[in-house]
Amino acid sequence: MLELKNIYKYYNPGTVNEMCLFKDFNLTVKDGEFLSVVGSNGSGKTSMLNIICGSIPIESGNIVLDGKDITNAKEFRRNEKIGRVYQNPSLGTCPSMTILENMSLADNKGKRFGLGRGVNKQRIEYYRELLRPLNLGLEDKMHVKVGSLSGGQRQAMALLMSTMTPIEFLILDEHTAALDPKTAEIIMELTDKIVKEKKLTTIMVTHNLRYAVEYGNRLLMMHQGESVMDCAGEKKAGLNIDDILEKFNEISIECGN
Amino acid sequence: MKTKTTAKVLGAALLTMALAGITTVYAEDQYTIGIEQFAEHGSLDNCREGFLEGLKEEGIEEGKNLTVDYKNAAADMGTCGQISDKFASDKVDLMVGIATPSAQSLYNAALEKEIPVIYTAVTDPVTAELADKDGNPVGEITGTSDKLPVKQQLEMIRQILPEAESIGIMYTTSEANSESAVKEYEALAEDYDFKIETAGITTTADIPLAAQTLMEKVDCMTNLTDNTVVSSLPTILEMANEAGIPVFGSEIEQVKLGCLAAEGLDYVELGRQTGKMAAQVLKGEKKASEFPFETIEEAAFYVNTAAAENLGIEIPEEMTDSAAEVFEEIAEAK
Amino acid sequence: MDFFITIIEQGLIYGILALGVYITYKILDFPDLTTDGSFPLGAAVTAALISRGVNPYMTLPIAFAAGALAGVCTGLIHVKGRVRDLLSGIIMMTALWTINLRIAGTSNVPLFSKETIFKNSFLEKLLPEAVQPYGTLIVIVILAAVTKLILDFYMKSKSGFLLRAVGDNEKLVTALARDQGNVKILGLAIANGLVALSGCIFCQEERVFEISMGTGAVVIGLASVIIGTSLFRNMTFMKATTAVVIGSVLYKACTAVAMRNFEPQDMKLITAALFLIVLLISMERRKKVKIDA
Repeated sequence: MLELKNIYKYYNPGTVNEMCLFKDFNLTVKDGEFLSVVGSNGSGKTSMLNIICGSIPIESGNIVLDGKDITNAKEFRRNEKIGRVYQNPSLGTCPSMTILENMSLADNKGKRFGLGRGVNKQRIEYYRELLRPLNLGLEDKMHVKVGSLSGGQRQAMALLMSTMTPIEFLILDEHTAALDPKTAEIIMELTDKIVKEKKLTTIMVTHNLRYAVEYGNRLLMMHQGESVMDCAGEKKAGLNIDDILEKFNEISIECGN
Repeated sequence: MKTKTTAKVLGAALLTMALAGITTVYAEDQYTIGIEQFAEHGSLDNCREGFLEGLKEEGIEEGKNLTVDYKNAAADMGTCGQISDKFASDKVDLMVGIATPSAQSLYNAALEKEIPVIYTAVTDPVTAELADKDGNPVGEITGTSDKLPVKQQLEMIRQILPEAESIGIMYTTSEANSESAVKEYEALAEDYDFKIETAGITTTADIPLAAQTLMEKVDCMTNLTDNTVVSSLPTILEMANEAGIPVFGSEIEQVKLGCLAAEGLDYVELGRQTGKMAAQVLKGEKKASEFPFETIEEAAFYVNTAAAENLGIEIPEEMTDSAAEVFEEIAEAK
Repeated sequence: MDFFITIIEQGLIYGILALGVYITYKILDFPDLTTDGSFPLGAAVTAALISRGVNPYMTLPIAFAAGALAGVCTGLIHVKGRVRDLLSGIIMMTALWTINLRIAGTSNVPLFSKETIFKNSFLEKLLPEAVQPYGTLIVIVILAAVTKLILDFYMKSKSGFLLRAVGDNEKLVTALARDQGNVKILGLAIANGLVALSGCIFCQEERVFEISMGTGAVVIGLASVIIGTSLFRNMTFMKATTAVVIGSVLYKACTAVAMRNFEPQDMKLITAALFLIVLLISMERRKKVKIDA
């Protein structure tokens, strides 16, 4: 379970550009929840993810993960339990290393990075098994550098890599936004499959309202650092795109985002 | 009949020998030397000029029976090594190193090649391990040292400035020659009731600030043969003149540029002396390992009366009379 | 013949330096100017040890460790002090000038009368008479080859993977629950260790320590890396490390040829021109992850 308690976040504190984003923001994500977050630009969606992961500091408040206060934990420490996929496909992989080397790196998360061989030959078949269901042909390109793959291929790898080792939390930061519609669809289906298989607690930020409606079991709409809509369970299941659009219009934000 | 044949044979033999003799004489007469100078520097240039003059006086002249391969290392150690290796692989008859790093580098390259090395402008050949504790060569290497006549210099400063208490010395911490000269000054200063103040610098850029700081503390300054400091001498002299602080030089060129006076070296003379040593080695009269390194025993006194006038200092007449050269104007820096 | 031997000797010694620069410049994407200080640092440590009678072979690991320490300092300044990469290197380079002088005791330490890794009673006994003249070359080839192989091995280890990842994509290292700062520090340590090792060997080959010997070391290293990696870019069978070492030999060959035909005073300009030409021909397009906010 993840809890954000009384979060205060200012940008440019102490300057004329000081801007308060979160003022006493609270959010609880229960285990097994798949939370879709929507909202216009600047509403605080990505900032919220950054706060959870520790990429940006907060002025006050507490972040509690599984009962443990991680407010002051460094970003890389938090990542022991959190996996994250970014909007930019190249952020989840190493372009100058091969697919095999990337998979091996991800496979070693949580273990010692010592002087042992970087690639465990016995695991190669396992990596192929993981790549095969993607239907992208990556399993036959194990020695190809990731830098020469397409965005969609890389994002698929990033998703696999971030969920390869046991994690409790998956953070998806507009992870389909940079992909063409067809690839986005494939990645989204893959995401859903992985989340269900591994029973991951997930927060997905998206601008695609259809995905927000179709996937996940809870939906959160944010506006100016506040939650303006939060439905879970059956209420969420009954939602359709029009309902969300209506809400969007209600808060007089440009539509179609 | 028999005697005739013998005579013929003898004659032929003699002729062959004579011819052989002539050819060998000719072959020996042609020399190739490699000169490696560590940096572009007035004193070092003078050394090289003097060296070639010295050789010429001994009948070895560039263009006639001498080919000179001259390389300047532009104060870079890596370049030094490359030049030395080039000379060694060209198998020159003699390698000449001007300044310590070049001398060391040549010696290193020559070790296995059996090419003699002659050096000059090496302040302390013993510390540089080019000579043993007794001053004898460590191998086929010898030359001349440009060790400063520190004693005479201190004596001279005392004579010109009877009231002075402290002498400032600016030097580059990376130049081994300067370091050892500073040590010598510090050791001898007490005998003449002087206190030595030093300012160590690393680059030319440090000079203005270091000079300023030093001039606030001292009554006069004296120069070493420090490459970095000497190359900025005009700047230093200008500041010193403003502050009314006399600056003593260490060799003729510095006095020419406006240093008050110097008990110093004449680098041309040093080079000439070295050239004569080299000639002996080239001609095969002596091996380099057979003579210890030499120094110029007699320091020569140089004085610049224009500089003295600017500072309002009177140089005792008996001193100007004994001077090797008196400059009556301040030369422009080259 | 001697000419080529000299080029290979010098090229391989600087090849080890180039391997260090390869780690910082190519892998870590860190323009590390510490190199100009850690190269003479290795030499200073070596000179100090050898003149105190330490076995010359012991100087190799000790010089490496000293260089690694310098790298760690640069890393700490950059990572913990949040000082920009270029500045961190400049700070360390400047500091090392004094440290090197202190370690060596003076700005010029000759080692002519001392045993070195190239000239010692052990080698004299070991090598047959006929190969004695090539002793130096043999020792250098072995040292360069061993260093390269160890580095290759390391680059294939888990730790090496992490190092390669950090220059490529810091965020991935963080995502793997590793402190990317520490990985960078580790990389700088290895790089400067190699540079110091190169200085250690160079100082024993030249048999003298000179405080100014590091001037321009980073340029030589960069030029070697760029020549090596650009010229052999399309040869996939060749490892980048091999390419870098060959690049260093080529660079030394170019300067040696230039030296025969030009005045040494012009060498820096020729070096710069050579550098630029290789850069322009190869037109390196650096792949770098764009990190957006």
